[in-house]
Amino acid sequence: MKDIARQSMSIKVESMDLLNGQIKIEAHASATYLAMASWCEQNGFFTSAKFFFKQAEEEREHMMKIFNFLVDTGGNPISPEVTDINHDYSSITDIFESTLEHEVKVTKSIHNIVKKARQAGDIATERFLDWFVMEQVEEENTIRDILDMIEVTGTEGVGLQMIDNQVANWIE
Amino acid sequence: MNVIFQSTYYTLYQANNERCFYLDFGQKTVRMSLCQLLSLRHKIMDIHIEDHFDGDLNSHGFEVLMLCNKEHLFILNTLEILDLKNLIENGFMAIGLSAKSKVLIQ
Ligand SMILES: [Fe+2]
Ligand SMILES: [Fe+2]
Repeated sequence: MKDIARQSMSIKVESMDLLNGQIKIEAHASATYLAMASWCEQNGFFTSAKFFFKQAEEEREHMMKIFNFLVDTGGNPISPEVTDINHDYSSITDIFESTLEHEVKVTKSIHNIVKKARQAGDIATERFLDWFVMEQVEEENTIRDILDMIEVTGTEGVGLQMIDNQVANWIE
Repeated sequence: MNVIFQSTYYTLYQANNERCFYLDFGQKTVRMSLCQLLSLRHKIMDIHIEDHFDGDLNSHGFEVLMLCNKEHLFILNTLEILDLKNLIENGFMAIGLSAKSKVLIQ
């Protein structure tokens, strides 16, 4: 019997399902950062708003990277439904703390797919995710640095405005 | 045509010369590319069978299934959906695209 299936698709369906899940997570991250940009704009943190507009774009690029990988491997990429976007934040510190929390979740999700792909002997998926593993290290580090800066600057008096100005250092 | 997997109500075939698959639904046999089979798999896996036991979520216990870009329409009951889920899972194992298969066989 000819292996029509393998000739049409080069990754396992379980990997495809997990990657479709990751597409959704990246889309959710993109939408969440857009909501944060909106909050920053409305509360006078214009540099932070710029930072989050850029983050939102980057997350969409991550999503498209996975989407195109599923196209290239003959899978079935699913355009994600994005719901439950939080727009309420108590402070700029709350925004960056939520960001770090979100990024850690994303990292865990990617590590989980790497492990499952490894178990399944799906080398293509495992290698494809190398880039994401390193990207997450960088993203977590960026947010941690910003949180450190917030801590050092302090939120009293002109602190908030100084914090916002310094966020510019993390916009490439 | 080679039989890939047969469940209680359905049979999945592979047609080597046409590089495609056939799914025999009983009343009708549907020709499918792998893409269309993947799309069916997605639709079937998205069905929460628990909803069939909740009068508010799915009061009639049926699912309307549109296949191959709305070329075919099927109305399936709870047992048929469960059987189709089973066929899809085992079918993908049999064609070697599911990681579950090899682990068990080796
Ligand atoms: Fe991302
Ligand atoms: Fe991120």
